[in-house]
Amino acid sequence: MISITLAILICSVVMLSLALLATRGSSVKRELAFRTDVPFYDEMTGDPSLCPPEFAARIFSPADWAFVSGEKSPEVLRLFRHERRVVALVWVHQTKTAIHRIMREHTRAASQSQDLNVATEAKLWSHYFQLVGICNVLILAIQSAGPSRVGTLATYAASLSHNFADAQHALAITTAARDLRGAGAAH
Amino acid sequence: MFSHSIWLIGIALELALIVRGVQRGLLRRYPVFYSYVAFVVFTDILLFAARPTAHSYLYLYWIAEFAGLLFGCVVFFEFYRVALKPYPGTARMARALLFVLFIIAAVKTIVTLMNVPEWWFYARPAQVEGVLRVCQLLAILALTLIFLFYSIPFGKNLRGILLGYGFFVSWSVLCLALVTAGVAKADSFWSYTYPISYVLSVVVWTVHLWSYQPNPIPDRAIPLEQEYQRVAAATQRRLHTARGYLAKAVGS
Repeated sequence: MISITLAILICSVVMLSLALLATRGSSVKRELAFRTDVPFYDEMTGDPSLCPPEFAARIFSPADWAFVSGEKSPEVLRLFRHERRVVALVWVHQTKTAIHRIMREHTRAASQSQDLNVATEAKLWSHYFQLVGICNVLILAIQSAGPSRVGTLATYAASLSHNFADAQHALAITTAARDLRGAGAAH
Repeated sequence: MFSHSIWLIGIALELALIVRGVQRGLLRRYPVFYSYVAFVVFTDILLFAARPTAHSYLYLYWIAEFAGLLFGCVVFFEFYRVALKPYPGTARMARALLFVLFIIAAVKTIVTLMNVPEWWFYARPAQVEGVLRVCQLLAILALTLIFLFYSIPFGKNLRGILLGYGFFVSWSVLCLALVTAGVAKADSFWSYTYPISYVLSVVVWTVHLWSYQPNPIPDRAIPLEQEYQRVAAATQRRLHTARGYLAKAVGS
């Protein structure tokens, strides 16, 4: 039998999940009515919220920081620090929102798929959690250390989020084609 | 006296739940769940009539407890089947996750038995039940997380079954851990919370299953044809662009 501490921990997690499920019931219902009119992936417009990795590299680059520091103006330096931090935070939030949106679109398609690949699905979920974790770390790091110090992590997050979006897109095409083949065979 | 009151309230609520289920036609929609409730009513009345001091009571109690646990697993299966019927992809993920959990539990049991082979002979019923309830609770947690991740909507009835049963199993795990550790003893505060938790679960079931509410299903199937055409058009556009680049390269 498990220890009391572990029992309390598991029970708390279960109760919290159940409470979340109970409160989310109505919102999911609302989403269900809305969701079917939205396309899975719009190739024409691409993904407007996911900025290119070069953009992230530029926001978090120490080059601008070095240039402004060279100006020897404390006021400009203060303004730059504030603005760059805001831009960096906006980028992280935008990336996070895009990831959530991509995953939501994916779960919508995957939930009704007839032929889901469990291993690929598990890999996609692990990438998703990794990205969300990195974004949360980035938010904390930007607020505490500033954007110029977390450039490597931000560039990594940017490239990972693009890989994630591409992988999801490829998976959506494969699943759609496979399901279509299955539906064709059924007829 | 207090424990008898809890007992009687529980039986009255269970009977009300069954009567309401018959009136509203919920019995044929959730047959396993109502069979489980009927089974619990039957064992409750049987145990209430038996003398708690008698030796046979102990056997009866543990037989009812383990049979209830197995019946609960079947209720869980019915819940999974009904809730995920329109979502084959999510059902496949849930099966995979539950299979992984089962393998982990089996491996852990084998390792424990290899280390302490006499565990089964000396283990108290509370210990065995505790282990099984933990497995059940982990399965409930896995399914709940799957529902959350895939935003699976379900009606009031199914939500009530999961909430009530999840709460009851959670509290059982906690109480059994306390019993095993020697913290909870007979006639202590904890010994009363166990039946109270069940009564609370029955209250949740009664409220949520007062009338039938269908599960929301997607308005229409995902437009695969439409999606396929979109993908095909995009590929065609890309090919066209690539051809343009190729023409430029050859021209220069």
